[in-house]
Amino acid sequence: MKVRVRFFARFREAFGPELEVDAIKGETLLEIVRRAASSKRDGYSTLFEEDGRLKRFVIVMHNGSRVEHADAEQISVAEGDEIAVFPPVAGG
Amino acid sequence: MEEPVSGRISVTNEDIEIEPMIEAAKQRTSGAIVTFLGMVRDDGIESMELFAYDEVAVHDMTEIRDDAVRQFNLQRVDIVHRIGHLRVGENILLIVVAAGHRKEAFQGCEYILERIKERAPIWKKEYLADGHRWIEGDHP
Repeated sequence: MKVRVRFFARFREAFGPELEVDAIKGETLLEIVRRAASSKRDGYSTLFEEDGRLKRFVIVMHNGSRVEHADAEQISVAEGDEIAVFPPVAGG
Repeated sequence: MEEPVSGRISVTNEDIEIEPMIEAAKQRTSGAIVTFLGMVRDDGIESMELFAYDEVAVHDMTEIRDDAVRQFNLQRVDIVHRIGHLRVGENILLIVVAAGHRKEAFQGCEYILERIKERAPIWKKEYLADGHRWIEGDHP
């Protein structure tokens, strides 16, 4: 099944605006982000610590709602899902 | 008492027409309108580019507006956030808040601004003479 991973702000410079990932049934949000990150040179270290955790400042959204990092390890993706990955916001 | 009126909530590439928005915000029972206008400050930069996760930014600002209307008894709120390439002095964000009394209008406007800064997915990239830098917020 297809899952869309969108990147914003400086992450877009590293990964482009979005990647389409072929997800396997049962794969979690974090696993999809990890795979998307690994598809680009130096991409993994942009988003992840050496121990495999997401860097603290990385924000993940699932279909428009923010997801805590711990929950991203538990939530399975579904066909057509949209995951967004971005650094801290700076509007206003 | 008049029912709260939904104002405009948008993310746009267009400049903001301020006066018509202030006029539109006035209700018969309004006693105060507070506006916040954020602009591009000259911090030694040449220009700035703003980016948004548009649909989520509008959704978040709508929720922030609804929270503020409930908490501060506001009559109407308009929020317009610009994106795209902006020069020093150009408008970034306009918030217009109408309320029966000044205290509610001031508090409501500040609440909305602070929530937008901590939550709405919008980013700034500053262009300098010798390159660019991303401005990152304090709210992971």
